[in-house]
Amino acid sequence: MNPVPGSHLSPDDFDAWLSGALAPDAREHLDRCAECRERADAEREIVTLLGSLPLLSPAPDFADRVMHAVALPDPFSLRSLAGIRRKLLATPKAAAFAATVAVLLVGSMTASIVWSLGHRETLIAIGSWVAAEAWQVGWVALRGVASNLMEQPWYSALRGSLEHPARWGTLSALASLAYLLGVVALRRLLAPPTPRVAHANL
Amino acid sequence: MASAPEWATLTDQQVVLLARGGREAAYRELIRRYERPVFALLFRMVRDRELAEDLSQETFVKALNAIDSYRPEFKFSSWIFKIGNNAAIDHLRRRELDTLSLDGSPHAETPEAMQATALQIGARQESPLDTVEAKELGGAIEAAIGRLRPEYRSCILLRHVEGRAYEEIAELLNLPLGTVKTYIHRARNELRLALAHLKE
Repeated sequence: MNPVPGSHLSPDDFDAWLSGALAPDAREHLDRCAECRERADAEREIVTLLGSLPLLSPAPDFADRVMHAVALPDPFSLRSLAGIRRKLLATPKAAAFAATVAVLLVGSMTASIVWSLGHRETLIAIGSWVAAEAWQVGWVALRGVASNLMEQPWYSALRGSLEHPARWGTLSALASLAYLLGVVALRRLLAPPTPRVAHANL
Repeated sequence: MASAPEWATLTDQQVVLLARGGREAAYRELIRRYERPVFALLFRMVRDRELAEDLSQETFVKALNAIDSYRPEFKFSSWIFKIGNNAAIDHLRRRELDTLSLDGSPHAETPEAMQATALQIGARQESPLDTVEAKELGGAIEAAIGRLRPEYRSCILLRHVEGRAYEEIAELLNLPLGTVKTYIHRARNELRLALAHLKE
């Protein structure tokens, strides 16, 4: 009788055998070693048995009980502010950073108020100058846009088509319809899902 | 009528994103996906239906309330199993259980309590004879699992019941890969020895 080649299978070899990835030399040993064969069959039996254990389910109202204790996130609630505060004070370093930023903010605001109270005439002069400049820039921009529009080849045709009141009415009706369709589409996009939930396989 | 997302087509990570946006249906979808595997793992860890439900509830509440801290580069299943396993191990460290409750919790004092805490076997059996045989074999392996050390129990259940990879189990249980392999080999060996009498 020929001797069995190689040494007995290691636990890792049995793992490899269970997943169908046993090396050829170990495979050769397994084919001819009754002891390893018996052990491998027993291992497979255990794994099969474990894989066929019954499915278990919690009580039907499990999800409701969980959801009762879960706080859904609300970005507009004060809980968010509390969370930010917790994060800011989480470590001494974070707290020191937050304190420095707060001191800088309050300090600069106080300095700004004090300066403003002592230099009211200067502030008024600066304000008037900024307002005059802004008005001039705005007016130039508006004229530029208007003249640009009037130079377009379709401008005269558009103007002619809007001279009749009936055409104004038609255009208004079309615009209202487009607005309504937009609102309906937006509602469909933003609406929450229905309770129907498709089942995913696990 | 608003159309619901096709939940089955969404990955766990996508459902988590919707949950972070405050959609209750997304939370319920995560519960629906994992309530059974998490409950099954915890039941087989603590061997008490009522307690397993409490620990499962604790697991989900903890996970869903901390959904912002979940990192999408990891599997959601690993995350929730980790939380569940930690809950079970913490419990087992506080209280040692050593008998299986196929017929109910070892701590149940009345027949009603035993019935309420009994393991509910799923509908995989087809005939009364099959039921008896399956219950005998299933009961034997459940009992054998119950006698394993808790760390062996976690590993073997995650590997061969939940089908998790060795690397995932190691990451999930914070154990070296070699240790996980050793635990699983030892657990399989103990189960093999424990069930040997059924073959005779």
